[in-house]
Amino acid sequence: MEKMKLNIKSNFGLFITIVICIAFLGSCLSQKTKPAFASPKGLETRVYQVLGMDCPGCHGGVEKLINKIPGVFDSKANWKKKQIVVRIQKEGEVSDESIFEAIRRANFTPGKRKN
Amino acid sequence: MSFLFILFVFVSISYSNGISVDAGLTPAEDRWIFRTQFRYLSLSSMAMDHQKIGMYTIPVILAYGLKSNLSLLVRQPVIRRNISIVGASSAESGFGDLFIMGKFKVFRRNHENYTLGLAATLGIEVPTGSDGFSSETWDLQPGLYFSWRRGSLGSDVSMTYTLNGFADKGQNNMNPGNELAFDWAVSYQFGLGERSMTSLAPVIEVSYRDLSPDRLNLRDIENSGGSLLFFSPGMKFTLSSLILEILVQIPVVQNRNGVQIERNATWLFGMRYMF
Repeated sequence: MEKMKLNIKSNFGLFITIVICIAFLGSCLSQKTKPAFASPKGLETRVYQVLGMDCPGCHGGVEKLINKIPGVFDSKANWKKKQIVVRIQKEGEVSDESIFEAIRRANFTPGKRKN
Repeated sequence: MSFLFILFVFVSISYSNGISVDAGLTPAEDRWIFRTQFRYLSLSSMAMDHQKIGMYTIPVILAYGLKSNLSLLVRQPVIRRNISIVGASSAESGFGDLFIMGKFKVFRRNHENYTLGLAATLGIEVPTGSDGFSSETWDLQPGLYFSWRRGSLGSDVSMTYTLNGFADKGQNNMNPGNELAFDWAVSYQFGLGERSMTSLAPVIEVSYRDLSPDRLNLRDIENSGGSLLFFSPGMKFTLSSLILEILVQIPVVQNRNGVQIERNATWLFGMRYMF
């Protein structure tokens, strides 16, 4: 019985170590590098309604797809407010439709553009 | 023979679901989900040489959103078990069978006040596991998953049917019985912090398993098959892209055919990381 308890402890310890390593590796891989020339002052901010987000875990999927659109500087989703704030480089031409399409590909439904 | 039977039962019970929340909502396109769990399950039988078995399973799962309506999942379990029979004990470790599954979005409605999602899955378990940890059969698993969200309240229902050994026979030329699995989860989510980047959700799951008896030479094996009902309270903690889960699966009804090992509570600690 003692041996079994020891085994549980050592296996659980190994599991926690793996989890921490994976989380750290994942967060390093998901870091997005931004072009150095883009300063926050030269950015246009748009707010879009997003329907279907139900937890903080939903943010990453839609942000990832929107951030890939050429001209988008970054984006921040908020599931509670059902919206995403998208910052666009002034010189970039980003249509609302391309943002809507990215929202759909994330399995959410685009609502109105709020500004 | 009873020992062999126990090993076989291990393989078939070790992957029962838990924290089935979000199952009906397919992931975003180009979204990776890494998921792992630490499960501890103990089984005992006074009738079968006072056997006591402790088993830890660590399933490692990787899912990817190929398209907005199609995702692919691969699961590889790592298993360790300790068996104690009348004072003597032994421990073994090995890999379980590889499971590959495709999930297809059938329907999704994102309304201002609610979200509904229905997904169909088709999975196959390939007998790649280590000796004594593999079912040694190709198993096919179709399934249906439904999710509903309204405000902070969420509910998920899933139903799968596993055709064990649909194309071949298992250990000792035995036809393993098929398994019907039904899970129902209800959760309530509390948003924490200013932007609600963190949330805490108590979860209650009810799981039903119906196992057909195994067959040998076209006859049912007496001490196999039956049905199980679990009640599982748990908690889900979401911190941005990281989800931590804890759940305890308590067997409330165990209708086992003949003499079989008794299943005790399963402890489950899980994490998901999405990127």
